[in-house]
Amino acid sequence: MLLNAVIIVLREVIEASLIISVFLAFSQAINRSRLWLLLGLALGIVAAVVYALNIITVSQWFEGVGQEVVNASIHLLLYLVLLLFMVLASSRQLSQYQNILIAIMVMGVVLASSREGSEIILYIHGFVSIPELFKSVILGGAIGAGIGISVGVFFYYLLVNLSTEKGMKLGYILILLVASSMVSQAIQLLIQADWIISQYPLWDTSNWISERSVTGQLLYALIGYESTPTPIQVMAYLSSIIIMVTLSSLAYFGSRKLNS
Amino acid sequence: MSVTPNSIMLRGIIAFCSLLLTAIVHAAPIVEIEIREHLFYPAEIEIPADTKVKLVIINQDSSAEEFESYELNREKVIPGGSKGIIFIGPLNPGVYPFFGEFFPKTAQGKVIVKEAK
Repeated sequence: MLLNAVIIVLREVIEASLIISVFLAFSQAINRSRLWLLLGLALGIVAAVVYALNIITVSQWFEGVGQEVVNASIHLLLYLVLLLFMVLASSRQLSQYQNILIAIMVMGVVLASSREGSEIILYIHGFVSIPELFKSVILGGAIGAGIGISVGVFFYYLLVNLSTEKGMKLGYILILLVASSMVSQAIQLLIQADWIISQYPLWDTSNWISERSVTGQLLYALIGYESTPTPIQVMAYLSSIIIMVTLSSLAYFGSRKLNS
Repeated sequence: MSVTPNSIMLRGIIAFCSLLLTAIVHAAPIVEIEIREHLFYPAEIEIPADTKVKLVIINQDSSAEEFESYELNREKVIPGGSKGIIFIGPLNPGVYPFFGEFFPKTAQGKVIVKEAK
């Protein structure tokens, strides 16, 4: 039960942790205080509690698939927030957008922590009535959260200690991977809700990397790895990468031309 | 039989009803699974291949459970004392294990997909 709690909480924490590490390194680079993070986390926790308290009502929306629709919306919204972040952060007129970027980072933290937070609350709450397991679940959860936060801290220090150019590249790749994984997960949820047609998988890599394995779980958290994705999912994943790369490149090179 | 306006209407009604019936028959078949004391009942369900199926998962426990299956690519939290709907399929014949992520030691099950006759 302990190990299970570690994995469940780690998996939920790691995405938010990665996003926050890039945001923190960015706000460090533009010399802003970190108050936005506290605001984002506080709002995110409130949203997570509200969501967890109303989970039964939400589940009944849209003929029983409310959870999928709400979670998919959160994922897609987070993709849009990350896309906007990348576009504005790539722009050379960055200084004009600083306040907007801070607002975007707050929004990103709220979205990333609310859904994951509500799932952790629901998970742990179930064990309140089972005292013999409660302790190990709390301990496991704390270890999982600790590992997840450590990963974020590691990337934060890596990002701020690399040269500006290398740090920007790494941050760019991290956000790109997490953002496109959000889209893939959203599509998966809409397939589960029968809002998007369910297809046969495009390929099956479960013999190479099983989603049960530690590698599979980590890859899932990092890049949204699925061993049996459907064609629509793969297309959405690739499109979300192409859109983000194209728009941020346009912002980067477009604004450079203006400056010269 | 003479064709009167009445019989045309009757035929129309019959045609409409049979259409409605086909629609109902063709809607996704429903399979119910209950969760009690962190166990799935039934733990094994059989569904035909190439068919979309609506799983209704009724959680009788007070604690939440997460229905999860890597093979089916499905994952959903079912709060305690509530029911959740998950669509699966169309699938190829085979065995697709699922489990309750919150209580994986006990909550285990599988979907057996058989070639439709």
